[in-house]
Amino acid sequence: MPTSDSEDFESADEGHGSPVKKERKKRLSSSNYSDNALETDQKSHNTQNLTNSLNKSVEKEGTDGWDDFEIDENEPVSLNVPPSATKVEKKDTKVTNEETMIKESKKSQDTGWDDFDDWGDDEYCSNIQKTEPHKTQSHSLQPDPDIKAVTDRLAAASTGGSSAGWGWGWSVDSLLSTATAGFTNITSQVSQGISTVLETSIGAPDPEELARRNIKEREDESKTSKEESLTPKEVPENKEKDNGEAFQFGSLLSGVTKFVETTSTKVISGGLDTLETIGKKTMAVLEDGDPGLAKKRALLGLGTGDKPVLSQVLREAKAKADEEDKIKEEKREAKEVHYENLFDDFEGLVHLEALEMLSKQVSMRIEERLSGVASEKRQDMKETLQQVAELCEMPEEDDDDEEPPSEDMSKPDVLHERLQTATQDLGLKLQFQPLVKQYKEVLDYVTSDSEATVKAIYKRAVSGLAQATALSVEQYHKAAEMLLVKTRRSTADEADALTQMTVVLTKHISELATLFTEKLNSLPADNKAQTNNYITNIFLEAGNSSTYIQNAFQLALPILQIGAV
Amino acid sequence: MGVGKSCLLHQFTDKKFMADCPHTIGVEFGTRIIEVAGQKIKLQIWDTAGQERFRAVTRSYYRGAAGALMVYDITRRSTYNHLSSWLTDTRNLTNPSTVIFLIGNKSDLDAQRDVTYEEAKQFADENGLMFVEASAKTGQNVEEAFLETAKKIYQSIQDGRLDLNAAESGVQHKPASPGRPLAAPPAARDNCAC
Repeated sequence: MPTSDSEDFESADEGHGSPVKKERKKRLSSSNYSDNALETDQKSHNTQNLTNSLNKSVEKEGTDGWDDFEIDENEPVSLNVPPSATKVEKKDTKVTNEETMIKESKKSQDTGWDDFDDWGDDEYCSNIQKTEPHKTQSHSLQPDPDIKAVTDRLAAASTGGSSAGWGWGWSVDSLLSTATAGFTNITSQVSQGISTVLETSIGAPDPEELARRNIKEREDESKTSKEESLTPKEVPENKEKDNGEAFQFGSLLSGVTKFVETTSTKVISGGLDTLETIGKKTMAVLEDGDPGLAKKRALLGLGTGDKPVLSQVLREAKAKADEEDKIKEEKREAKEVHYENLFDDFEGLVHLEALEMLSKQVSMRIEERLSGVASEKRQDMKETLQQVAELCEMPEEDDDDEEPPSEDMSKPDVLHERLQTATQDLGLKLQFQPLVKQYKEVLDYVTSDSEATVKAIYKRAVSGLAQATALSVEQYHKAAEMLLVKTRRSTADEADALTQMTVVLTKHISELATLFTEKLNSLPADNKAQTNNYITNIFLEAGNSSTYIQNAFQLALPILQIGAV
Repeated sequence: MGVGKSCLLHQFTDKKFMADCPHTIGVEFGTRIIEVAGQKIKLQIWDTAGQERFRAVTRSYYRGAAGALMVYDITRRSTYNHLSSWLTDTRNLTNPSTVIFLIGNKSDLDAQRDVTYEEAKQFADENGLMFVEASAKTGQNVEEAFLETAKKIYQSIQDGRLDLNAAESGVQHKPASPGRPLAAPPAARDNCAC
């Protein structure tokens, strides 16, 4: 342990002419330095003990209201909570508390000095000046400025305390309040209640003295600014500490421990014991005849007076939330049955976009080729392109009934077979399973006996159509990509295959629409107009779907054409 | 065996590792909604085929990408050596404002490493690319790579480098659509060296 700390401590204590202080110093010294050898042996042990006792007391803090000491020491006014404060404002109040606490941590520091000033010693200034160089020195010696800062502050506080007249309990309190300012979590309301009691029950300074101290404090503000230059570092630290006492206390402890190693462990643990006793006593006094502090809480404006306001605010908030929920729900529903959004969700749009990009790219290449050949050849090329385009025209609605599907085949299997038959000359391996699977799901849905509302069926219909369309569009996109990397092109076959595929797919869409509308019609209609409206919409969306599919097919045309020129 | 573009995407969108993932044909898509600076953003990622035969096809997809992720395999130097050719394509076919992120995939196979981090980092720095080593298998840095790309795109929009109104910004603003992400989708084209 560097000696700088003890020097620092000593210097802070030196210069007090008062015999009483000398006496105190002696006491301090005796515990601190006289039995140095002994202490070295016990050091780790003592530190351990202190750590434990500190931990204990801090854990208790939450319930014991240790922080009331700081409040007691500072102007209670700063913690006044207007009785009108409602719970809704609690958040604000908390913030204020936090600020207050930070102030407090500074203040308690001031108070430390102040106490000692109060002691009637006029050497305050010279003390500070004397202390200062030592401090600078110790700073340069200390590897960790943060820990040093804490130690300094603790030293300062305890020095002040040691010369103050309120006894050990009090001086350690000011030390502790510095150390624990960041941990205070008890609401200010409760704290104030405690402080009120405390002032009367423990030997707290009387108002006169408080006033005197306040004046002094103001006078000393410029002097203490040196001290405060240390505090900014602490402030964010303190804020953090509010989040989880146990954890951050550990980091602070290292500082405390360090300090303690050079000062008196006995003094502090003794002081802590005293504090603990006072705290327990305080709570006992407070709770006497008022279990759970219910009455005091009520007194402090958390009681019945606020209830109408609070409940009203809550009711309004609830109404507002309900309204927002309703709007959200409506929007969600609107989105849910919005075909384009669903089509996008099933990646139909992005496949269409990608297919469009390919289509444009290939069209440009065709144009390049056209402009790059002699005029008579160009005519041939144009004719070829035209022929391919004609091959891709959709056949007239052919009513020649396809061979009726064999009895032992399920509808999805029939679809699969038709798609494969249609595309067998394409020379590519397209993956139709997703389409077949989706068809199966739709069939399961419409044939199930489960109760479904008209609206639910309608939603499922729009979604089903959007999904089938997206999956179809994907087929054109994939086909286009694979055709472009295909080594041997047979444009006529490819064109015919894609045309056949388009026929199958658009028929499939009609089939899906029919399935859903039949399901709707099978329900007992309590609102026939609404059902009819839904049915009309389903057929509209089916038409929409067919258009998307045919557009996709047309986008694939240049890819077919380029294989021929 | 690829460098793992589809696996990276799958890890990002589904948080799963696809042990045997088939060769990508042309382009596949993945989407995920993320939040950047409190804004919901739908990322639409185009996972392009790495095979050389699809190169002409995938070149068609570069246009309009707001960001590009270029991937190589740290255990195969050949994939790293191809980077400059892929970078040339990316630069030629995208906007100057397109964010390019370099990923050294398969960082879990450190024992088989064939390209040092430092070397790739230097390449990235020289070419103004963002860079991480990631693992689609363990998920290490995967999230970071995609999110950093998105953040960079978002910054470009904020700085005015990326014009939302331009036809090929790769970014659409969708404030009117109910329940939809506010800004959608920086189509990040997932590119690669294979």
